[in-house]
Amino acid sequence: MLLRLAWRNIWRNQRRSLIILGSIVVGMAIIVFLDALVVAFLNQTFENQIGSHTAHIQINREGFKDNKTVQNYLPATETVEALVRNNPEIAHYSRRIITFGLLNSAYNSSGISFVGVNPEDEQYVTTIKQYIVEGRYFRGDANEIVMSRRTAETLQVGLGDRIVGMASTVDGDIGSEMFRVVGLYQTVSSGFDRMHAYIPLATAQHMLGLGQNVSQFALIASDLDNVPHLRSTLQESLGDKYEVLSYAEIMPLLMTMIDMSQQSMVFIYVIIGIAMIFGIINALLMSIFERIREFGVIMSIGMKNSRIFIMIMFEAVFLGIISIVGGAVIGGGITLQLQNSGMNLAAFSEGLASWGIGAVLYPELSIAVIFRAMFVILCTCLLASIWPAVKAIRLKPVEAMRYV
Amino acid sequence: MEIIKTENLDKVYEDNGIPVQALKNVNFSVRKGDFTVLAGPSGSGKTTLLNLIGALDSPTAGKIFFEENDISKKKPRELSSLRLSKLGFIFQAYNLIPVLTAIENIEFAMMLTGISEKERRQRALDVMEELGIRELADKRPNEMSGGQQQRVAVARAIVNNPMVILADEPTANLDSKTGAVLLDIMERMNKEKNITFVFSSHDPQVIERGKRLVMLHDGMIESEKEQ
Ligand SMILES: Nc1ncnc2c1ncn2[C@@H]1O[C@H](COP(=O)(O)OP(=O)(O)OP(=O)(O)O)[C@@H](O)[C@H]1O
Ligand SMILES: [Mg+2]
Repeated sequence: MLLRLAWRNIWRNQRRSLIILGSIVVGMAIIVFLDALVVAFLNQTFENQIGSHTAHIQINREGFKDNKTVQNYLPATETVEALVRNNPEIAHYSRRIITFGLLNSAYNSSGISFVGVNPEDEQYVTTIKQYIVEGRYFRGDANEIVMSRRTAETLQVGLGDRIVGMASTVDGDIGSEMFRVVGLYQTVSSGFDRMHAYIPLATAQHMLGLGQNVSQFALIASDLDNVPHLRSTLQESLGDKYEVLSYAEIMPLLMTMIDMSQQSMVFIYVIIGIAMIFGIINALLMSIFERIREFGVIMSIGMKNSRIFIMIMFEAVFLGIISIVGGAVIGGGITLQLQNSGMNLAAFSEGLASWGIGAVLYPELSIAVIFRAMFVILCTCLLASIWPAVKAIRLKPVEAMRYV
Repeated sequence: MEIIKTENLDKVYEDNGIPVQALKNVNFSVRKGDFTVLAGPSGSGKTTLLNLIGALDSPTAGKIFFEENDISKKKPRELSSLRLSKLGFIFQAYNLIPVLTAIENIEFAMMLTGISEKERRQRALDVMEELGIRELADKRPNEMSGGQQQRVAVARAIVNNPMVILADEPTANLDSKTGAVLLDIMERMNKEKNITFVFSSHDPQVIERGKRLVMLHDGMIESEKEQ
C-alpha cells in the first residue's frame, strides 16, 4: 500500500515528474554509453596488445625481459616444450626468437626487432597474419620476411624486394641473411609497427647460430582468468632459471592505464550523479512542500516517521526505476547501434594509434554496464531522497495542519 | 469512566516572540460515551485544547492523563503510537489523501496498525456499508462532495475502533443540510456503538446536538453543561 501510495504520489505533478525523469534518463543513457565506450576502449587496447605480440604468458630465460639479447636463449627448449605441449590449460603456444638487429635496403637502414616464428604456431598466438595489408603471410620459404608498411616505407622497399638483415650471433659475430619482402602488415599501433619484423624460426636460428634453441615460448591460456594460476605452476615446474611472465607483468603500463580508466569512470559516475542529484532533491522538496497539510493529516492519524521516510524513499526509487528502464532502452539502443556500425574515430586515429587502438571503436554493451549504471542511478535517487525525507519528518503535525 | 483528563493545562504559543496564552488552567475531562462540543469564539482555544488531548501537541504546563497515564511529557514517537491505536481524527477539510480512493483511505489507517490486507478490505467495506457510503468506495477525494469526503473521514476515524474521536469543526465547510447528515451519522455511532466524540464548533446545530457543551473563552473554560 505504501508502494502504491508512493507510486501515485510521483504522478501528482506529471509535468514535474516527467521533466525530472527525463533528466535522469539522460544521465542513465550517458552513463551506459560512456561506460560501454570505456569498456570497449580498454578491451580493444588490451586485446590488441595481447593479440599483436604479448600473448597471455611468456616463458624466457631468467633476465631476458630486461636484456633481450640472443645469448639469453632458453636453457632447455625441450623441457619447456614438454611442459606446455598437451597441457589442457594452454590453448596454443609458439616458439620465438627475439633479437635486435638491423635491416638494410639499397637506400636506407633501420633498427628492428627480429621475431623468428614458426608461422603454423604463431598464427594461433598472435594476429599479425590478419594485419597483412599487402602481399601475404609466410608460405614456407626460408628467406621470407614480413615487416610493417611503415618500416617498408622507411627502407623504401616494396613486395618482392630484397633486403639484408643483420644481427649479432650467439658467439658475438655478425650474422646476416638475405630476405625477400613477401608481406606488409599494419597494426593499430604505430610504435609496434616500427619495431617488429618477422622471419621464419629456422632462418633466425641459422642466422644467429642458435641451433635448435629459441628465446621464448608465447602461450595463450585456455581461460584468461586462469592465467595467474597457470603462470605460477609453470614457474614452479621450471624453476628459477626461467622467467614466466603474465601479460600483466609484461605490460604494467597498460594494466595501470586500465586501472586508472576504471577509477576515472567512478569519478565520472560521481559527476553525473551530482549533476542529477540536485534536480531530484528539488523535485522531491517541491512535492513535499505541496502536501505539507497532508503530511499533517497522516502524522495526526499516527503514521510513524520511519514510514514517512520510507514512503519518500520509495518515491525517489520509483523515479529511479522508471529512469533506469528508459535510460537502459535509450542508452542501450544507441550503444547497440554503434556497437554494430562502429564509431569512426578516424579524426583522432593518429592519437589513438599510439594508444594501440583502432580508428573504429565498437562500444561494448554488457549486463555489467547496465548494472553499474543502475547502481549509480539508484544510489543517486536514494541519496537525493534523504534530505527531503528528513524535512518531511521534521514537520510537526500541528504546524503542518495549520499550514495553508 | 474518564478516558482523558487534563489538570491545570496551560498552553502558551510564541508568535514572533510575543507569547500568546492559548489555554489557561484548563481542567477538562472526556468520559466514555461522551458526545461533547467545545464551543466559543474564534481564538478561544478550541483547536488548541483538541490538539492537546489528541496527543498532537505538548502543553506548556499542566498534565494530560490518558487512561490515567500522563502523556504530557511523552516522546513524539510514543504519542504517534497512541494516536494510531486510541484516537480518531476528523478535521475541518482535506482529511483524505488525494491520490487514494475512499476505500484505500480507510484501509490506509488500518495499514498503519498492521492489519492484514484481506481483513483491511473487509473491514473498510463493512464500515462504509454501515455509514451508507459504500458506493463511494472507488472514488477519489476530488470526485466526492465535501459532505461525502467528511463521511469517508468519519469512516477512517472509526475503523480502528479508537477510544475517542476528536473532530475539529467537522461541519465548518459544509452547508447545514449536509452538516446535519454528518451529525446524524456521528450521533448514531455514538448511540449504537457507544463511540466517544469530542467536537469543536461554531456551528449552532452542532452545539445544539451536543450532549455536553463546554464553552471556552480566552483560553479558559467559561461554563460546562449537560443538555
Ligand atoms: N501555532 C500557533 N502559533 C501562535 N499562536 C497560535 C498558534 N496556534 C494558535 N495560536 C493562537 O492561540 C489562540 C487560540 O487558538 P485556537 O486555534 O486554539 O482557537 P480556536 O478556538 O480554535 O479558534 P477558531 O475558532 O478560529 O478555530 C489564538 O489566539 C491563536 O492565534
Ligand atoms: Mg480552531
